[in-house]
Amino acid sequence: MTQEVATQTEQVVPDHWEPKIIGFLCYWCSYTGADGAGTARMKYAPNVDIIKLMCSGRIDPELITTAFANGADGVLVAGCHIGDCHYMEGNHKTMARMPLLRKILDELGIEPERFRHEWISAAEGAKFAQVVTEVSESVRKLGPLNWPQMLKDRGVGHGMDLKPWGE
Amino acid sequence: MISPSGEVAMSNSDAYPDDEIRIGVFICHCGGNISDVVDVKRVADEIGSMPDVVRVSGVFPVDAPPTAGTESSIERAVVLSETEMFLCSDPGQARIEKRIKEYNLNRVIVAACSPTLHEMTFRRACARAGLNPYLFQHVNIREQVSWVIEDKEAATQKASRLIRAAVDRARYLEPLDDRKIPIHDAALVIGGGVAGLKCSLDLAQRGIDVTLIEKSDVLGGRMLELGTVFPTDEDARELVGALVKGVQENPKITVILNADLKDSTGSIGDFNTTVVVKKDGGEEDVEVHSGVIVIAVGLDVYEPRDGEYYYGKSPAVIGLLDLQKMLRDNGKLEVNGKPVKSVAFLHCVGSRQWEDVHEPQADGKINDYCSRYCCTAILHSAVEIKERFPDVEVYDFHEDIRTYSRGHEEIYTRSGELKVKFIRFDPHRPPMVQKDRKGEAALTVKCRDRLTFGEDLEVPVDLVVLGTGLVAKDMTTLIDLYRCSRGADRFLLEAHPKLRPVELAAFGLFLAGSVQGPMDITETTAAAAAAASKAAALVSQGIIELDPFIAKVNEDLCTGCKTCLIVCPYDAIQRDDEKEIAVVNEALCTGCGTCVAVCPSNAIQQFGFNDDMVVTEILALLGVETNSRAGVEAEEAIAAV
Repeated sequence: MTQEVATQTEQVVPDHWEPKIIGFLCYWCSYTGADGAGTARMKYAPNVDIIKLMCSGRIDPELITTAFANGADGVLVAGCHIGDCHYMEGNHKTMARMPLLRKILDELGIEPERFRHEWISAAEGAKFAQVVTEVSESVRKLGPLNWPQMLKDRGVGHGMDLKPWGE
Repeated sequence: MISPSGEVAMSNSDAYPDDEIRIGVFICHCGGNISDVVDVKRVADEIGSMPDVVRVSGVFPVDAPPTAGTESSIERAVVLSETEMFLCSDPGQARIEKRIKEYNLNRVIVAACSPTLHEMTFRRACARAGLNPYLFQHVNIREQVSWVIEDKEAATQKASRLIRAAVDRARYLEPLDDRKIPIHDAALVIGGGVAGLKCSLDLAQRGIDVTLIEKSDVLGGRMLELGTVFPTDEDARELVGALVKGVQENPKITVILNADLKDSTGSIGDFNTTVVVKKDGGEEDVEVHSGVIVIAVGLDVYEPRDGEYYYGKSPAVIGLLDLQKMLRDNGKLEVNGKPVKSVAFLHCVGSRQWEDVHEPQADGKINDYCSRYCCTAILHSAVEIKERFPDVEVYDFHEDIRTYSRGHEEIYTRSGELKVKFIRFDPHRPPMVQKDRKGEAALTVKCRDRLTFGEDLEVPVDLVVLGTGLVAKDMTTLIDLYRCSRGADRFLLEAHPKLRPVELAAFGLFLAGSVQGPMDITETTAAAAAAASKAAALVSQGIIELDPFIAKVNEDLCTGCKTCLIVCPYDAIQRDDEKEIAVVNEALCTGCGTCVAVCPSNAIQQFGFNDDMVVTEILALLGVETNSRAGVEAEEAIAAV
């Protein structure tokens, strides 16, 4: 039991480590908002790599777990505000999915600060810049995630010796 | 493709066989906008060392523009210069086209500004060179890298990472064709008020067959209830009568009265609408086939609550429309046969409401918007009363006065000249109307006047006219059939207030007039003309092209579970009950990809954004090689959970 806790808490942060964060952005609002931040020459952290999708409703939670499972230290999801969706109600699905996913991620040992979900309109460049900087900083504080290793260390995925979280 | 010595074969598809993936990556300096921050040469070198990439740079010296014969060798292709240059320029595009032919490129990546600006530019350049435009991938390294990241090293690394991900993703790109949708040469106009009439006439003038359906048994709409209208003082019934006559005489227009919407199938270019028509005590279904649909059902006038400003409790409290009727039909100003000596107008009744002052409407919301027509309509009526009955005292209780259109301010000025008395109330303390206890008049209006710095006034009047606002109609059937969006004010919402002001978000559907929000007649006809013009432009194209990023079902994987049907905002997916699979209607699909996210079998995918592409992008950004051990192990771990 103590072994696993030790693995997690005494994790050595490598030199020059930079948080790797994947940002899933809808094209019509948030991606355009991010462009707006650029046009206004706002400066923000370089850690969020943007993947453009047409609608935040396209963001399958599996894409987010895939990112975490492959070394992402954080994930940002951004879409149009409710009522502004280019596809009328694609973001309603996002609104329903993300809180549920957050709970699952929490159960799987991913701190809530590593997963950020925001509504960012095409006019909210400043908000985009601020959110990126905030999420980068909060992930930096938490350190590297290394989720696959953590799952392995905790025995998750082998079924037999599954242990409760926190022990 | 490239020999170690850097020797090159000359350009042709023998040297560069078609079955190999060859990706040309072009990195733009954007005249220093990018290259001042991102070390583009280093990025080009890093990308150039990836497999599948023919090393090409989109930057070259200004003094040596690309001309035939100057770049015959592939090592020369990696010409990097710190000189300012723009890939979007004509020589920049020419270079891309040339390289495509030269090296038989079958994928092209441009790392430059935002795709919003030049994705289409480069797609077209690809098409000109004979490459399917959807084998092009745009990378944004200006708005989302060089302009926002101060640290040059971090910016260079990020640019490199993003382009690397695009290269990996590009392997999955497939040639796509724009959807070509034929447009049936006819229009359906719903609503026979001034907007529907004007729109039908304009469409017919362009040679388009129009079916105009109207719920009531007469054409003309709300204008039939009005007297003279601002700003020209013309008779409303004469004005609309001219339109009605024009519509009835036009052989291109078929009018169906007593018609109700029942059902609608199809999509842009090919709508089939079922209309129920009441006829001789019975009902009859009529089918209307059209390429476009214009919605012009108009709006309702706010009906004050019982007791609101004493409405319903006294015959001396009436709405603006009632006053119009009185002035028009009686020619007299009287209540219960008694001549009226004083009138009070109240602005903003049912409009610009406040949560702490007004009770919410049936849907729980207050009407917080401005109804726009009422200030001028009230002042126009006040002027008419003053001119026709000079002895009558007229009081105007307002929160603000908004006479914004051409000719409206003049009416305001005129009302002042005619000595209409203005009293300004605080919206949080609206005036109170009650029975006049002194017996001087029928009613008293109590109000604290802000124009006299808080003087409490009690004004006895014989008639109170409420400046009732405008509200959206109950449009349940319409909204269900056409999946219309509504604004917070319950009126139908246009696709974009500035770029697509008379269109609904779904293609082929247009909004004409006050179904979209409060408008006066002038604005309504302008909006109707705009809708007619947009609809006609669409019909006259005959065939329209839509982008190909739609959803497609893999019939072998689909289990027919209908999950995608539930989430689709456009009802673009139907279930083929015979084959037990989902089928996407290509004309209805707008390419949001929501169905892709929910499909439990991964059977539905979106062109241009399929799971392979997105997952590859994720892995590449994280520095994981596709299908590497780490990724597989992680996936196994997740699967086991």
